[in-house]
Amino acid sequence: MTMPKLDFPPFRLPPDAEELRTEVRAFLKEILPNLSAGERFKSWNSRSPEFSKAMGDKGWIGITWPKKYGGAEKSFLHRYVITEELLANGAPAGSHWVADRQSGPNILRYGSEEMKDTILPRIVKGECFFAIGMSEPDSGSDLASVRTRADKVEGGWRVNGTKIWTSGAHRSHYAITLLRTSGQREDRHRGLSQLVIDLKSPGITIRPIINLNGKHDWNEVVFRDCFVPDSMMLGEEGDGWLQVTGELAYERSGPERILTNIHVLKELIRIVGRQPGHQAQVTIGKLAARVWSLRQMSLSVAGMLQAGKSPAVESSVTKDLGTHFQQDLPEIARVLGESEAADENDIQEFLDVCQMATLAAPAYSIQGGTTQVLRGIIARGLGLR
Amino acid sequence: MASDNETRDMFVETASRLFSEQATREIINAFEKGTWPADLWKQVEETGLPWAAVPENVGGAGGNVGDLMAVLREAGRNAVPLPLAETGLGAMIAGEAGLTPPSGPLALAISESGAPLRIEGGKVSGKAKRVAFASVCDNIVVVASGQVAIVPKSAVKIDVKQGQTGEPYDDVSFDAAAASASAPSKVSPERALELAALARTNQMTGAADRILAITTQYSKERVQFGRSISTFQAIQHMLAELSTYVAAVAAAARVAARDAEEGGDSFSIWAAKTQASDAANKICAIAHQSMGAMGFTYEHILHHYTRRLWVWRRDYGSESYWGAKLGRAMCEAGPDAMWPSLTASKVAT
Repeated sequence: MTMPKLDFPPFRLPPDAEELRTEVRAFLKEILPNLSAGERFKSWNSRSPEFSKAMGDKGWIGITWPKKYGGAEKSFLHRYVITEELLANGAPAGSHWVADRQSGPNILRYGSEEMKDTILPRIVKGECFFAIGMSEPDSGSDLASVRTRADKVEGGWRVNGTKIWTSGAHRSHYAITLLRTSGQREDRHRGLSQLVIDLKSPGITIRPIINLNGKHDWNEVVFRDCFVPDSMMLGEEGDGWLQVTGELAYERSGPERILTNIHVLKELIRIVGRQPGHQAQVTIGKLAARVWSLRQMSLSVAGMLQAGKSPAVESSVTKDLGTHFQQDLPEIARVLGESEAADENDIQEFLDVCQMATLAAPAYSIQGGTTQVLRGIIARGLGLR
Repeated sequence: MASDNETRDMFVETASRLFSEQATREIINAFEKGTWPADLWKQVEETGLPWAAVPENVGGAGGNVGDLMAVLREAGRNAVPLPLAETGLGAMIAGEAGLTPPSGPLALAISESGAPLRIEGGKVSGKAKRVAFASVCDNIVVVASGQVAIVPKSAVKIDVKQGQTGEPYDDVSFDAAAASASAPSKVSPERALELAALARTNQMTGAADRILAITTQYSKERVQFGRSISTFQAIQHMLAELSTYVAAVAAAARVAARDAEEGGDSFSIWAAKTQASDAANKICAIAHQSMGAMGFTYEHILHHYTRRLWVWRRDYGSESYWGAKLGRAMCEAGPDAMWPSLTASKVAT
C-alpha cells in the first residue's frame, strides 16, 4: 500500500535565531506600553507608523534582503522568530506587515532594478507600507477570474476596475495589484500581470468597508483611467498568475496562522490562577499541546522552505489546522474562564477579551486561502483529485 | 548518545520490511483469539529490533531511544501484536542499570504513586494494573523508586484480562516475588512512564498514518453513483481534514522522540501524548465515516488500527493525565511564562 506523503521532519531553529529572539523580546518589553489585556487585544493587528519606524531603526524589517537595499542578509528563520515575537507580544506591527512579508519579497524577486532601489530601502526603514490588490467583487477564491484591466498606453498602462477587501489601502503607499493586461476573462490565468501602483495616483478612489467589529481595515479601491508607468510592472507582462500563486503558497503556514490570538490562552492562564482545578488544568494542557504541536509543524515547514523545498501541501495542512485552533481557542477559553476564574472581579474584562477574539475569528479561515480551498489542495496532495 | 542517520535508516528499513511482510492480518486476528505469534516474535528477535536502544555491553544493538521510537512507528503502522514498546524500554532501562536483559518478550510494570511497587532485597511487592502483554511474556521489568528488577512470570500472580485491541492488559500481583536480577536505577518511575507514553505516541502516529493510507486508498477504489467516491468533494474534504490530525500527531511524536534522544525536557512528551490522545477519536471517527459499513466489519483491517488508537490513547497516561500535568505546570508558572515555555519546550520559571 502506498502511503500518502505528508512529511513534517522535526526542525529546530539555529542558535543565532534564538539569540535574536531574546533581543526582540527585550526590545518589545521596553517599547510596548503596559496595556491591559483588552487594550492589548485592540492594539493587535493595529497600525502604528511609529512602531514600524522603531522596528526599521532596529533593522528588523526586510531582514533577509540584500544589504545594498538596506537588508541584513539574515535567514528566513530570523524573520520567522521576529514574526513570532511580534504576534505573541501583541505588537502593533500592522503598518509594515504586508510590505515586509509579501510585497518586498515580490519586488525583490520580480521587480526592476529601479523599483528595488527606490522602494526597498524605504520599506526597510519602516517608512513605506503596502496593500494587496487581489480580490474583486466577483473574484474571491477564484482569482483567475479578475476583471480589472490595464490597457497599454504610451509609457505605461491605464487601469480601470475595482478591487475589494484591500486591507489598509487607506494607510498604505502602494498596492501590488493583479490585473488583466491582455486577453479576456475567459483566458483565465493567461494575460494576468501585477503592477505596483502608487495609491496617491490620480484616478484612484479608496472607500472604507466597515467589518463586523465596526472597524475600518478593508477598503474598496476603484481605478478610473489611472495611469501607471511601465517601470512599475512586476516582472514580465503575463507573469501575474505565476507570481500570485507562488506568493500564496509562500508562508501559508507562518506564525500568523497559529499565534494571532494566543494572548487569549495567556489571559485564560491568568484568570484561572496559579492553582486551578483539575478540569481547568486538563483544558489548558490540551490547548497548550495543540498550539505546541502546531508550532512544531510550522517550524518544520519553515525548515523545509529554508532548505529550498516547496512544501505546498504541508503548509496548507498547517494553515487549516492552525486557523481552526485559533477559532476554537476563544470559545474554549470563554466557557472555562467563566466557570473557573480565581477572582470573580476579573471575569468581565476576560469575557470582553474572549468576545473580541470571537468576533475576529471568522476571518482566519477565509483570508490567505479558505478552509475549502485548502482542503482541495490537501486532497490533491493525497492523490484524490 | 546520538545515533547516526545510517543506523536509523537501517533500523527503519528492517522494521518496515519485516513488519509489513510478516505481521499479517491472519496473525493479528489469531492473537486476538489467543494464539501467541511465536514465529513472528522469533523473526523479530533475530533482527535485534527490540534491543535497538540497549547498550552493546549488555547485548543490545547500541542505538538510542530515538532509534527505538522509529522502530515503534513502523510497528504501529503495521499493528504488530507484540510487546515491542515494553520489551524495548524494559530492556533499555534494565541495560542502563547494568543488567543483561533476558531474551524473549518483556512486560513493563511501572510503580505509580497511588499504588507503589517496592523492590527490596531482590524481592518485589505490590500490585500493577493493566500491564500490557504480561501473561504472554516470560519476564516483567519492574521500575520502582531508585531500583529496577527483572521478575520471572513464574514468580507472580497474573489476572489475565483481554484489552480492546485483543491484546492482554493484565493485572499483576507481586507478593515478595523473587527477582532474577535487580539493580539501582537512574530511571525513576515518573521517567519510565514518560518514556512509555512517548513509545505509545510513536506507535499511534504509525497507526494513524496507516488509517490515512487505508481510507484514501479505499476512497479511490469504492465506486458509488457510477464514480469512485474519492471524486466527491465531501469525501475529499473529510480525508483532507483527517490528514491534518494525522499530521499533527506525527509532528508532535517525532519532535518528542528527537527531544528525548537529545536529553531534552519532558515537556515535549507531555504535549505529544496529550496531542496524540486528544486527536485519536477525531481520526477514528472520520476514518469510519468515510468507509461506511465496510470499515465497521471485522473482516476489514481498518479496526485493527482504529481500535489500537482508541486503546493506546489511554495507555501510559491519557490526554487527561498528561494534559493536567502540562496545564498544571503552565498555570503554576503564570501567564507571562506561557509563550517562553512554548518556544523553549520547557516550562519557563
